Amino acid sequence: MTVSRALPLLLSLLVPGAATPAEDALIVATWGGSYEAAQREILFEPFEGEGNGKIASVPYSGGLDILHAEDPPDLVDMSMSEAMAACEAGLLQSLEGLELPPSAGGIPARDDFLPGSRERCAITHTIFATVIAYNRQAFGSVRPRRLQHLFDLEEFPGPRALQATPAGNLEWALRSLGVPRAELYSVLSTQRGLDLALDQLDTLSGSIRWWRDGDEPVKMLETGEVVMASGFNGRFFNARLDHESPIEILWDGQLQERQTWVIPRGAARPDRAREFIRYATGTEPLARLAERMAYGPARRSALRLVGRHPQAGIDMGIQLPTHPYNAESAIKKDAKWYAQTYHRVLDRFEVWRKRSSGRKTLGADQESRVGPPT
Amino acid sequence: MTQPSPPPTGPESTGSDRLRIQVARVVALGVLTGLAAALLANAFVAAIGWLNEWLLISPRARMMAAEGVWLPLATIAVPTLGGLLVGYLHRWIREQRPHGPAEVIAAVQTRQDDLPARPALISGVSSLVSLGSGASVGQYGPLVHMGGSLGALLARLLRSDVTVGNIIVACGVASAIATAFNAPIAGILFAHEVILRHFALRAFAPVALAAITGYVVANAVLAQPPLFQIESAAVRHIWEFGLFPILGVASALVAVVYMHAILGVGRMARHLPLPAVGKPALAGMGLGLVALWFPEILGIGAQTLRFAFIEGAFAQWELLLVLVLKLLATAWCLGMGFSGGVFSPALVIGSLFGALFGSGLGMLFAGGTSELVVFAVCGMVAVTAPVIGAPLTAVVIVFELTGSYELTIAALASVALANLVASRIFGRSFFDRQLRDRGLDLSRGRSKALLASRTIGSLVSTHHATAPADAHVADARQAMQTADATSCHLVDGTGRYVGTLRLQRILQAPDHVPARDYCGRDEIVMNAETTVWDAMNLLRDFIGEGVAVVDADNRLLGTVFESDLIRAYLDILEDMRREEHATR
Repeated sequence: MTVSRALPLLLSLLVPGAATPAEDALIVATWGGSYEAAQREILFEPFEGEGNGKIASVPYSGGLDILHAEDPPDLVDMSMSEAMAACEAGLLQSLEGLELPPSAGGIPARDDFLPGSRERCAITHTIFATVIAYNRQAFGSVRPRRLQHLFDLEEFPGPRALQATPAGNLEWALRSLGVPRAELYSVLSTQRGLDLALDQLDTLSGSIRWWRDGDEPVKMLETGEVVMASGFNGRFFNARLDHESPIEILWDGQLQERQTWVIPRGAARPDRAREFIRYATGTEPLARLAERMAYGPARRSALRLVGRHPQAGIDMGIQLPTHPYNAESAIKKDAKWYAQTYHRVLDRFEVWRKRSSGRKTLGADQESRVGPPT
Repeated sequence: MTQPSPPPTGPESTGSDRLRIQVARVVALGVLTGLAAALLANAFVAAIGWLNEWLLISPRARMMAAEGVWLPLATIAVPTLGGLLVGYLHRWIREQRPHGPAEVIAAVQTRQDDLPARPALISGVSSLVSLGSGASVGQYGPLVHMGGSLGALLARLLRSDVTVGNIIVACGVASAIATAFNAPIAGILFAHEVILRHFALRAFAPVALAAITGYVVANAVLAQPPLFQIESAAVRHIWEFGLFPILGVASALVAVVYMHAILGVGRMARHLPLPAVGKPALAGMGLGLVALWFPEILGIGAQTLRFAFIEGAFAQWELLLVLVLKLLATAWCLGMGFSGGVFSPALVIGSLFGALFGSGLGMLFAGGTSELVVFAVCGMVAVTAPVIGAPLTAVVIVFELTGSYELTIAALASVALANLVASRIFGRSFFDRQLRDRGLDLSRGRSKALLASRTIGSLVSTHHATAPADAHVADARQAMQTADATSCHLVDGTGRYVGTLRLQRILQAPDHVPARDYCGRDEIVMNAETTVWDAMNLLRDFIGEGVAVVDADNRLLGTVFESDLIRAYLDILEDMRREEHATR
């Protein structure tokens, strides 16, 4: 795919502050915005400072296309389900042999990481949540309280920004119909269940704006283009902090997923990439990242170290999606299910999206960028 | 665990000592049985889930399996091979069929300590295979049977008497239900309503402890998701409570059709010119073929149950279609010899019927009625309760699983008439009908069943007077005198019974006439298999001391004395009354 060849160029043009990759720079594909800024400060720069050479970043917003490039990046910050799908397709290097350092207190890595953190080709660094948020100025005294209100156009009218992926939208549609969390993926596995979820999403058609880049829902909420939006909890948190955005997070129904580091099969600098993973999944960097981004660290030792936000001084523990207070009704994304059904579910979703936008959706021009690899 | 020691009887022994020992015994009994049954039940449910994933039965596994030739192939092959294995397993059971809750009920109701471990084990494995390979059968019947059989095994190990043994069996059942449903109160009620069929304070304590142990295991040790979960549902108008009994009566009719269908396929299967081993395999193949188009009929049907609760998941004609298919699939699988219960399919069928009823009403009242889920739950309960013969259990399951009082009252309203109607048409439950067809009729109460389950074999005495068939009256008189008896049986040269001479008839008879001429014309005889119930009925118009007991060749075996029979009758009923009413 030619897009990837142009990526470094695109990057230098579009991403402010990103260095033009030097010949030997470690190329990391990651998610831009405040998230990448925090990674640069907490992970990239100290790693560079230890004499490991430069790190250059390329933008990434999910999907497996990036792995099909002729010269793929050395590392990708990828969701677990996509990492598992990519691993299955032979697009990633195995990380089974990679030994990770113990915690500062000497707890071996395998006891320190949360269960399910390591898969054959992926190592979890954070647990992030896709949440529903709303603009608190959009409604009067009655505000959305439950996930069901995302689908309640009568009480909470106005456009909604949703991520252009099946994950999250399907789960929320079924949850709003009363399907218990434990049954979500069984129900979604049936033709009838998938239809039911899409039918429920159809009730919003005409009010949906699709987003792909993590900063888009934040902007749409801030500008009032939408009244409710799904998005990454860390982005919403930072928007409130940085520009006092009137955004409120609805923790009900938050979709938790593991975010991992993976090394593409064709990576040019696998050894340094491995060294980076060892560094980036250490207790201290994970804790510092959590303090900046409000994402749950994958190590228990890091979770205990999470303190206050370095600038704002707020207690960050309660901002994490994994905090018991927020996680009461959390949906745990079934990464294995998505990994195995990735293309079929995505195809189905895209067909529905086209049909639905063909009817009346705003932003019907948006094309799928996360389609099946060619 | 050893047998609790008997209470000390020395001079130091006090009432409080005895109380402490009794309480300790009850606690040990309940907790131990509860723990064992709960672990077994939990492992069973987990194993079904694992097999369904592995064998591509569960929707999740089917979805994740790559599309292609494998999925349809597995859909047909897995139930077929599962059926073959089930058929082979059942050859190792004497009756050539799986045991189930009916056996537990029979053992407890007739106070016969005969819940053998071997068929229970084989039936348990064959149920696991059936459920694991996607047969349309339930999982709770096998759980009840396994819990009960485990209790019976413990009772034998503890060498307890029949009354205590029955309580331990009930403990096993209560714990299995409490674990599987995550509903301890329903477990206690089920053990009382279906198994014990009386309420004794002495049984309540251990049964309750067993159910609570099951609940703790279900939650703390190996958490399993509940069968169904309903987050919120409200009855919109008070007048709708008038609709629920109507739904209940209609549901009872569905239950009757369902139960008749199972028995009907069973009758048909018996006449099928096919070796018994092959019948479940044939059933599996048929099921798999239909499942290619309607995967809903595979397995327990948890997803179908879920869809029945959601407005718009099924069109009305789909509700009817899936209902009929599920009913036929279950009757087909159970009738053809798959091993499993009738409860879970009844839940699915009932909820579909309730949803159908509710959506029909919705059209009639232009959407003015309660949410669909209310009717689905009511239909579910009202079809299930007559099938298992346990209205209170079914209602309490709703309460424990939903926590909604309003929904529970709605369920109660629908069940109120359902069991009455179904019992008039069909019988108290599917299990009772099975037992009736096997010769144990519980419909006239427990005392009849108990008396009919005991034979007079053990009461036969050879302490009687006999004389040769050609003997004179004087010889017979002499024989009676020697045996101190008031009657004398005449026996021919090959030991065959000829007749009985009663003392009151020969008082005036001359000595040298054939004794045979004085035998009664319609003398009653019994055989060793005559039940106490039949014997008591035969003796209604009998005057005399004892009745001859003969074998199949009419050879005299002995005499059963009326006094022994009456004593046995009183003992049986006294044991039953003690089990049901005594407090110590």
